[in-house]
Amino acid sequence: MEEEKVQVLNDENEQPEQKQQYMTFRCCDEIYGLSLENVNEIIGLGQYTSIPETEDYIMGLINLRGKVIPIVDVRIRFGKEPLEYNDRTSVIVIQLQDEVVGLIVDGIEGVVNIARDEILPPPSVSNLTAQARKYVFGIGREGEEVKLLLDPYKLLHDPQEEQEQAAE
Amino acid sequence: MGDDMITDGMLDMFIFETEQGLENLENICLESKDVGEFDDDHVNEIFRIMHTIKGASAVMMYQNITTLSHKLEDVFYFIRESKPEKIPHAELLDYIFEVSDFITGELEKIKEGSETDGNADDLIEQLDKYLKKIQGGKAKAGEKPAAPAPAPQEKQRYYIAPVASDDSKFYLIYITYANDTDMANIKAYIAVNALKGIAEDILFTPSDIISNPDSANVVLEFGFRIALQTVEDANHIMELVNASAGIENVEIHECTSDDFIAFCMEAQSPVSSAGEVLTAPVEQPTILVKDQKPQAIALTNEEEAQKSNEKASEEKQPEKPASKPAAKKKPAAKKGETQSFISVNIKKMDLLMDLIGELVIAEAVVLQNPDLKVPGLDLTNFQKSAAQLSKITSELQDAIMAMRMMPLKNTFQKMNRIVYDTSKKLGKDIELEVIGEDTEVDKNIIEHISDPLMHLIRNSVDHGIESNEKRAELGKLEKGKITLEAKNEGGQVWISVSDNGKGLRKADILEKAKANGLLGNRSEKDFTEKEIFNFITLPGFSTKKQVTEYSGRGVGMDVVVKNIQDVGGVLDIESEEGAGSTMTMKIPLTLAISDGMIFSVSGTSFVTATNSVKEFIRVSSKQLIVEPDGEEYVMIREECYPLIRLNRYYHLKNGKENIEEGIVIILSHEERQIAIFADELIGEQEIVVKPIPAYIKKVKGISGCTQLGDGSISLILDTGDLLK
Repeated sequence: MEEEKVQVLNDENEQPEQKQQYMTFRCCDEIYGLSLENVNEIIGLGQYTSIPETEDYIMGLINLRGKVIPIVDVRIRFGKEPLEYNDRTSVIVIQLQDEVVGLIVDGIEGVVNIARDEILPPPSVSNLTAQARKYVFGIGREGEEVKLLLDPYKLLHDPQEEQEQAAE
Repeated sequence: MGDDMITDGMLDMFIFETEQGLENLENICLESKDVGEFDDDHVNEIFRIMHTIKGASAVMMYQNITTLSHKLEDVFYFIRESKPEKIPHAELLDYIFEVSDFITGELEKIKEGSETDGNADDLIEQLDKYLKKIQGGKAKAGEKPAAPAPAPQEKQRYYIAPVASDDSKFYLIYITYANDTDMANIKAYIAVNALKGIAEDILFTPSDIISNPDSANVVLEFGFRIALQTVEDANHIMELVNASAGIENVEIHECTSDDFIAFCMEAQSPVSSAGEVLTAPVEQPTILVKDQKPQAIALTNEEEAQKSNEKASEEKQPEKPASKPAAKKKPAAKKGETQSFISVNIKKMDLLMDLIGELVIAEAVVLQNPDLKVPGLDLTNFQKSAAQLSKITSELQDAIMAMRMMPLKNTFQKMNRIVYDTSKKLGKDIELEVIGEDTEVDKNIIEHISDPLMHLIRNSVDHGIESNEKRAELGKLEKGKITLEAKNEGGQVWISVSDNGKGLRKADILEKAKANGLLGNRSEKDFTEKEIFNFITLPGFSTKKQVTEYSGRGVGMDVVVKNIQDVGGVLDIESEEGAGSTMTMKIPLTLAISDGMIFSVSGTSFVTATNSVKEFIRVSSKQLIVEPDGEEYVMIREECYPLIRLNRYYHLKNGKENIEEGIVIILSHEERQIAIFADELIGEQEIVVKPIPAYIKKVKGISGCTQLGDGSISLILDTGDLLK
């Protein structure tokens, strides 16, 4: 155990430029990436229970092996029109500290490695909605393709929205 | 103290065992308080409890607990050995309680991780005086005043395994006395005393030489054996031993530590030569070493703990046959009841419960699998196996539920102590009757009701029951009595505290309520008895004119009610002026599981607790009354209920609008009733309440969610919340 830990530490020290892994998924014709560290698992979307009187992007609750977790439709979160769910619709279960939330996305792409120095700040002009841009912390380039990297914390807790709520 | 060397597991075990011991101790004391003396069984038991606590605390190096428990052990050692007559029992009980409180206090500190800095010196001194007093009474009997071991020198000692010291050697010493020696036991004691100066540890057989004059004969007949651990050599020992008179022969053998331990074990065993083996207060059963280095402790404390456990269990065997049949009423069966328990982390239990919940759902998924619905498929064998599986899973569910259930016994026993303490301080003569202490309640709930219960009991003692003089004046002949009763009542547990005291004075309550501006515009006559009594549960409301140590500050009843509400219960107050009052806590059997009624509204399923459902009824549009402002009411059998249409309330689309198509459910919550309109009823099921994830903001009327048989999630509708 002890040795393993040391090993891991060394790895990190030796390769500060180590590539980070991102889970990529499709949503509204764009490819987004989420750090794999936050991803617990990917499941298909089954039956869910909607909750009245909540934000529109909170679709409801699902039962994940006895645990009740809320699910969020990323499309609606980005301010786009919802798409009817189909076979490719997937739920990425992410965990931020104690919070476990499922993200409904159009489809899963895969896992990519992106080095930290290959991540660029988000462009000011793009075809992203203003809503979506708020949650993107950078743009990762992998070969020819470009992935929009999401900040999962902002995705769940919009600081601006929360401030507004507090003001209310 | 010895933080690094003591593992968490050991600490937990120590706390657990000590608490159990203390609880036992208090029970014995309370049981005996009316009898006025301890019987032999009690004395033995108390001695053993104090002994165990002493040993364990010494291993854990809580000095103050050790010295204090040691002192009390001394007292009981004397009582056990010398059987003094007419010891002041009430005084002794007070000391025991003080000791128990002190140790409990220290345990709390240990739990919080702070130093055990309590000072027990005063208490030890008092116990010392008490011991001297009862010894003084006995000295007349002609026996040499028993001086059970010089206590003060104990303080510097640490308990430790003998193997801990490298330099010391172990000796077995065998002394025989000339046949005509008078008082050979005293001679033997002199020898022991002489050796104490050099001993790191000393043990001897027979061990009751000081207190038991008959041991003289044993010493003469079988000789006197000493096991000694010391750094001195054999010659020096010989010198010391020979200093006492009447010795015929002395044999000194050097031995290994293993032999030494073997001797210690033997000294405890029932076959030892002294017949009934009784142990001296100082030297047993753990081994004493003076001025030990802490490093050595680290190496051996685990072993030591284990050993003292072994010893403790061995010790029990000789004691039980030795204890004389109780002269007093105690049924013999009581002892046999001891059950064995293991303590399990509650998280593991919760996990197990979740998993079983999953299993039940997985079972439903398998058994109702659409693949099975192929026409013409012969499922006879499958159905048989399926039935078997269902039976097992449902039994498994019952078992895990039962595991969380605990009898109220322990909680009730604590109340005994409270009545004793409080009534004594207030100088009231009060007896406590306990009924239904075997009633089982979910562990979580027990934790929540202990405080409110304590408060209710104190209230009853303090201002429920009148003082003795007042009672005499009023011509109340019977003794002040508090009845604590628990019973199962329709899926709930009712715990009631009744007293035969003065009851609640409605006029006083109303007056106070008026002064506090609580009556509003209503006239005093409008208030029902229940409403009046409910005033006392409001914060800051106390009719007691004087604040006492126990009650009257007006904080309390509101906290009681809040605590009860937290576990989904209610407090019911009944009272008759002059005759007493009854406070009944009505709480659900378990927090985790309840019966729920499932219904759906626009495709979303809701569950509500079955016990809040009064009825469901299909109403005709004639029964519906619509106010101009849109508020709706339904008339059912001359009763008018406000109606909430859930689909409108929660803005759900596609719900049924025609009142005749859906169903009306009448819900009640503490006297208030409300009608809700839903699309259809689905069924009834046992539900496991789960919280809504914190990510989702609180929705009015929804208190949680639950998993249905098909694995889907249903929202729990809370009537109380809906009515707010």
